[in-house]
Parts: sequence; structure tokens; C-alpha cells
Amino acid sequence: MSDSSPNPNPDSAQKPPEHGQSRRDFLRTSAVVATGVAALAAALAPLRDLKDFTTVEKFLQKYYKEMTPQDMEKVLDRIRREVEAQYGVRPTVQDLKPMNGVEFVYCLNLTRCIGCRKCVHACVAENNQSRDPEIQYIRVLRMPHGSLDLEKGEHNYDSEQVPEKNYFYMPIQCQQCRNPACVKVCPTKATWQDKDGITVIDYDWCIGCRYCEAACPYFARRFNWTRPTIPKDRLNPNMAYLGNRPRRQGVMEKCHFCIQRTRAGRYPACVEVCPAGARKFGNVLDPESEVSYILRNKRVFIQLKEEVGTSPRFYYYFDV
Amino acid sequence: MMKAAKNYWIFVNRCARLAFVGDWRYYAWMGFLTIFVLLGINAYAKQFVSGLITTGMSDQVSWGVYIANFTFIVGVAAAAAMLVIPVYVYANEELHDLVIFGELLAVSAIVMCLSFVTVDLGRPDRFWHLIPGIGQFNFPHSMLSWDVIVLNGYLLLNVHICGYLLYCRYQGRKPARWFYIPFVFIAIGWAISIHTVTAFLYVGLGGRPFWNSSIVGPRFIASAFTAGPSLIILALQVIRNVTAYRITDKALLTLRSIVQVSMLINVFLLVNEIFKEFYSGTMHVASSKYLFFGLHGHHALVPWIWTAIACNMIAMFLLILPISRSLKYLNVACVLAFVGIWIEKGMGLVVPGFIPTPLGEIVEYSPTLNEALICIGIWCFGFLCYTTLLRMAIPILQGQISKANETA
Amino acid sequence: MNSRSKTSTVLVVLTLGFCFLACSFLLNLWGHPALRAPVPLVDLAFIEPSTARLSAADLIKAKADTSNFECYTCHDKKNPVKIKYDTNEMIILPTEHQDLKMGHGRHNRNNNCFNCHNEKNLESLQTRDGRELKIEESPQLCGSCHGPTFRDWEAGVHGRVSGYWNRAMGGFERKTCPSCHDPHSPKFPPRKPAPGPHALHTAVASSPAEQEHH
Repeated sequence: MSDSSPNPNPDSAQKPPEHGQSRRDFLRTSAVVATGVAALAAALAPLRDLKDFTTVEKFLQKYYKEMTPQDMEKVLDRIRREVEAQYGVRPTVQDLKPMNGVEFVYCLNLTRCIGCRKCVHACVAENNQSRDPEIQYIRVLRMPHGSLDLEKGEHNYDSEQVPEKNYFYMPIQCQQCRNPACVKVCPTKATWQDKDGITVIDYDWCIGCRYCEAACPYFARRFNWTRPTIPKDRLNPNMAYLGNRPRRQGVMEKCHFCIQRTRAGRYPACVEVCPAGARKFGNVLDPESEVSYILRNKRVFIQLKEEVGTSPRFYYYFDV
Repeated sequence: MMKAAKNYWIFVNRCARLAFVGDWRYYAWMGFLTIFVLLGINAYAKQFVSGLITTGMSDQVSWGVYIANFTFIVGVAAAAAMLVIPVYVYANEELHDLVIFGELLAVSAIVMCLSFVTVDLGRPDRFWHLIPGIGQFNFPHSMLSWDVIVLNGYLLLNVHICGYLLYCRYQGRKPARWFYIPFVFIAIGWAISIHTVTAFLYVGLGGRPFWNSSIVGPRFIASAFTAGPSLIILALQVIRNVTAYRITDKALLTLRSIVQVSMLINVFLLVNEIFKEFYSGTMHVASSKYLFFGLHGHHALVPWIWTAIACNMIAMFLLILPISRSLKYLNVACVLAFVGIWIEKGMGLVVPGFIPTPLGEIVEYSPTLNEALICIGIWCFGFLCYTTLLRMAIPILQGQISKANETA
Repeated sequence: MNSRSKTSTVLVVLTLGFCFLACSFLLNLWGHPALRAPVPLVDLAFIEPSTARLSAADLIKAKADTSNFECYTCHDKKNPVKIKYDTNEMIILPTEHQDLKMGHGRHNRNNNCFNCHNEKNLESLQTRDGRELKIEESPQLCGSCHGPTFRDWEAGVHGRVSGYWNRAMGGFERKTCPSCHDPHSPKFPPRKPAPGPHALHTAVASSPAEQEHH
């Protein structure tokens, strides 16, 4: 640094003795500054490819829970327009609220699941997940008989036929916990548990820190690492704000029990596609529901990783 | 009032001008750093457009070198307390004038931390959702919201203390004790808290047994108080060599004893952790097994962690032995400790927490070139900040620049 | 070299360095995203909610061809069917029924068509206690042996239910036993699983030759 120079006041370093030399210095310094600024501008050149990253309207959009019905209507309308522009389909986008007296529970019969993965793909089709890169909410593990150690599970089995001898199959998706670790850690309250038990995400509020993804003990959350892609002819136009409307780059998503169907009274897509009838869904507060029957009558059912204290609303059970 | 503001304006102005003048070494160093900062900015522009797919991260390993460096550098920032405590609590004279260098390091380190967090965000445009008052701040539930508070608070505290002391020195008056001593003591506690909260970020995750261990907090503090002062020892020698600022060997050796004790505690805690994991051998040992020995044929981190352990061990022995009273060996020990802890606490802590995933899947992680360039860019930006701050502080401390020689 | 000329040299080097950087940024020389193998779209067959097979009830509902259930097109009402057995007491299927796979249970106790079919009216079913059931009413018949499963099925817990979980908001459909189980061989048939997950970062083989090599 300049302190090795004899002049004790570095301010005076700018006052050189000779005029000509000062001019040369000035030119050299200007050249450095100019090329430096040019290099900075060039460094930012990739930003030219930035497409509809955000708009003032989107940037200033309010938090879900603070929107008035009018605000919401405006946002829904914007989403409809955007979807139509991008996919050429006019969607129905609704903001479906939880119903009173309803708490959803899911039961999955491990005796019946054959590991065909139809639920995985029906889910993708229903919920408008990105096809490439691929986002899937359900993982099916092929487990050797006699163990529930997930580390022994095979995620990538590609057998000629399922089910195979000496294995059982364990589909895992968001467990819709009563004490969700993901909700607790979110720094912006962008994810929360609604009163029907579904943990939802405001895709327009998430900052993409992925803390929830680290916190989830079930590998249920997925991140949009880049712009999601959905072929136009595979878009599901029946959409919900907190559900399957198309997501954007840099936000989290996960299974929401097909809000767009279940909050309208229907079964989730994975239930309706399961060829083995292994998937059961319903209102646990209704004693007549299938899930109430299961929790009442089946002897053994498990909450996955009970020891982590998340208390899932997703139960695995066995016949007999 | 107006006069005070004008005086302060002149002070800030002169400091700012100082940052742009220096001898050829200064220009070379700053130019070198600027080039890497530009490389980092370019890499970030690419990431900003294409998304975090430009990194090596995935849904399985959702945090990588950004958060690893963040975690490590929070420790470096916290380590400023290790200069402050001897001076203000034990009235150590040797270190008295050096405290400000530690605090400036803390300021630069926090700036780096905030940069690392920002580049890790998927939607940096939505940062305002985090601002209390206008956004939705999930306090006190989310440890990340605590981290936002403690990091920014620590930045403000240090900026205040350094800024005030330097301004007083510039004006040639004695600083009012009530206006900085309370903040110094708050900053000591705060330094511990920034690193504890950062540890809690991990410790609080029940679904990740590798992190969900109460020893992580103490390990963080011990390793921070090793790596931070190591860096300060090295930085002080650079300052001593390139400026006329007087720094005694005794001061460096005082820091050596801090590093010595911290390193011993750090290694002791590591041994505790390793014993617990491997002796009990529960299902939860999988991540540690992956880290130290590899799991099911995957062993990307094994060479790294053993390098880290070798560095730490050699550094520890050098520090215990009297030979490290010679600066040559002390410097080797400091470099080894810094590198060792950087690996152990960065990649060695963050990545294995994700491997295997909670569903037992093993997906390995290695940073991409783009990701590495962003990291290097931020490191260089941090050094750029620190050099600039020192460039301003040293002439003031030496009295070369003061109110007395104002020309305007 | 004095300090001033050293400074000049540094400044010139920096100027050149910045120029070089600016050019390489504009030419985008490095940091290209890694090529990813494209993820193929899944076959629509894996998405549609068909069951393993179609029952008589399904066919009637879909107004499809139910001629298979018109037994008296071939059989003669006045001429009761005689079942023939081989030496192992296994049924000898007539050529017209070779498509049937007899495998109900792991024993041979179901080796009798008239355990379920009504010998007096082949187009209907009969329970062990002698009740006559229409062909599409099979769950009653299955339930006469498979009690606990039938109880679960009635509660919507065995087999698939689709439509509305909220019965106040819409109807629902419960599949009957033969929609999934072949009555003659009820074990659930195995099938080809849908494709597994694709990793986010998959190395792409650089040349076709290399691909062949693997």
C-alpha cells in the first residue's frame, strides 16, 4: 500500500510534479476505469436472455393471506391470461378454501401396492409438474421383505413386471404432517398448514431458500431448478391457486392432495388411478369415510418416521 | 448539527478517495480481485437467467458450496470477538490497537455471508418478503429469520464501533466510552450468537440426524475461534509487511495461544462426534459413513474430509509444539487450520447432511464451474472490501489523515 | 523500475485484462449449463385410470359387447353341462373355453364350475346357500366366501373408489370384484411398471459411439 511511499499524505499522490506525466497517468487510470466498466457491462450480458422474470405487478403482489377477494380476483385473472398466452388453453383457476368440518387423511395399503408407479405419473399429469427437468411428488421405493429401513429401498427399479417376489413397494409423498417441519422453518411464511390439514405453498411468495426441502424428513418437497416445461397438450386446465397452477423458476412445490379436486369434493388423482385400490383418501372427521373405517378397523398402521415427531396424516397399513 | 454533518461528509469523502489511491502493489492486488469479482458477477448473471440448475445442487442435495461457505464465513465473522475479549475483558495491551482490524474483518465477512445467501436464493427478486414490517417475517419460528436478525445486527454493531472509533481518531478526540463500550460488550455476546444461530439452522432439523446433534453448536464455535484468528494472524502480518503500521510479534503470539486452545477443543469435539456416530452404529451413522469412508460405492467426500483431518491434526501439533512460536511455523499452522476447517465445516458439514436422503437415496454433489466462479467471486469481493476498509483505516490510525490536515 | 513506472505497468496490464474479460464474457466462453439427457414424455397408458380388466358390470355400463355372457347361444338349456375331470381331478376344459385359466385358490376345491355358475341358468350365478344372482352382482357371491374382504369392499376400503369423497357434492363409483380379479384366476395380474425417476443432473454421453460402448 501507499504507506511505503515517502509522502505521508496519500491525498497528495494525486498532485504529481510534472504536467505531462500527470496527463499520462490520467489516461492510464481512465483506461483502467473504462475497460473495467466495459467488463462489468459485458459480465452482465447473459441478462439479455432474461425472459419475463418479473413485472412490477408480480413483484409487488401481496401475500396470500393478506389479499382481499378483489386482489385475488385480479391475480387469478392475471394467471388465466398468462396461462392462455403460454399454453393456448383458457384455464379455470380458482382459489379454493378449506371446507368446515373436514380434515383430510390418506391411507395407503402396503399389502396391495404393486409398485406400478401409475400414481407418480397421474400426479404429474394432474398437477402440471415440469416434465423436463422432471418433477415428481411421489417416490415409490422397492423394499426387501422384512424391513422398513428406507435405506434398503430401491428408487430406480426398472423391472419387466411388478410385483416381484420378495419385495414390497412403498410410495412416499408429502405426509401432510400435523407438526410440519417445513412450515416451521420457512422464513417468509410462504408455506402453511390449512385447517383441512393440507400444507400449501404460496408460489408467488416463496423466495426459494430451500430450507423447507432440507427440513422435510420425507423428501416431499421439490424445487424448480430452472423454468418448468409442460407440453401444451398435457396441461391440466382445471387449476387452483394453492394447487396445480403452473409454477415458475426458483420456487418450491410439493403434493397438496390435489387441492383443485379434493377441495371440490373429489378424490385425488393418485387415488383414482391406482389399479390395486391401495390408496384411500377422505375426511377423518366423518366416521363413515373410508379412512375412518381403516383407522378404526385395521390393526397395524404406521406413520412413517414417527420418531421425528411430525405426526403425518398419511398412514401406511396392512391387510390382516 | 449542520456543521457536524458537513464534517462527517468530509471524513467520508476523504476515506472514499483513499480507496482509489495506492502504490503499484495496491493496484495490482485490487485489480486482481476485481477480475475475479467480475468473473463471479458474470457467472451469477448466468445463474440468474437459467436458475440454480447451473449449480451441482439437486432436490436430493439442495444446499451446496454457497451455504457451506456461508456457514464457514459466519464463523470467521464471529471470530472478531476473539480479539475483542482479551482487550476489553482482560485489558490486553498488545492487542488493543488491533481490535479494529478484527472488527473490519467481521464487517467484510458478514458482507460475504449475505452475498452467499443471496446467490443461493431461487427468487432473489423477492428478498423483500424477508424484511420485517413489509414482508412476512416468520419470527421466532424459523431459524433463518433469527439468522437474518443476528447477521444484520452484527454488521450494524461492527460498522458502528469501527466507524465511531475511526471517526474519533480522525477528529483527534477521545471516544465517549458510553457511546461504544456497551456496544463492544453486546457485540461479544452477539458474535457467539451469530454462530450459534447458524448452527441451530442445522441442529433444529429433526429429519437430518447428521445435523440433529447438540454438539454441532459448540463445534461451530470452537472451529470458528480457530479459523478466524488464524486468518487474522495472517492478515496482520500482511498489514505489517505492506504498511508502516506497527504490529508486535507478541500480539501475534497472543493470538497463537487463542488458536492453540480453540484447535484443541475443536479436535476434541470432533473426536466426541466421531465416537458417538461410529461406536453406537445406529442407522443414523449413514451420513458419517458416507463422509469418512463412503457408502455403497459413493465416496466423493472421502478425500476431502481426510485432507481436512490431516490439515487439522498437523496444525494442532504445530500449534502445541513450541516451534510455532516462530512465525514461519505459525503461518503454516494457520493456513492448515484455515483450510482444514473450511473443508470440514463447509463441504464436510453441509453436503453429508443430505446424503443419503431421508428416503435413503444416494445422489452425490459436486459444484459446477459456474458455481465455483460465483464462490470465488464472493471471496474476492470480501477481500476487496477488507482491503478497502484497511486502506481507509490504517492512515487514520497512523494519523496521516486527520481533521488537522484537511485541505478543503 | 521506479514505483511510478511499476504503477503504469500494473494499470496497463489491468486494462488489457479487463478488455480480455469483456471479450470473453461477450463470447460466452465458459460456464455453459451441462447438457442434460432429455426426459421422454411418459406413455399415456400409465396415466389413464383403467382397471386391470373389465367386468360384466363394466361392459353393461359401457354398453359394450356382452355377447360373451350369452351362454345359450351355444349351450342348450335342456341339456345340462357335464364337467369332465382328468386323473388328477383337474377340470378338462372344452375347446370353446380354452381361454380360461383355472386357478382360483391354491387348492383344487374350486374345481367345479357350479360353485359359482348356476347350472340351471348358466347366465346367472349362484351362492353356496342357493341364492341366484345376476352376472353383474358378483360381489355378493365372492363375499359369500371372502367375508372380511367383502366387508372392506362394502366400506370402500378394498378395491378402488372414484368420483367424490364428499358424497353430498357428487356421485362415486365403486369397482366390482371382476374389474380387477379374473374370477377363474383371481390373483392380481403383474404388469410393466411405469418409468422411474430421472435425476436432475445426468451426464450425457458425448458421442453415439460412446453410448454404444456403455
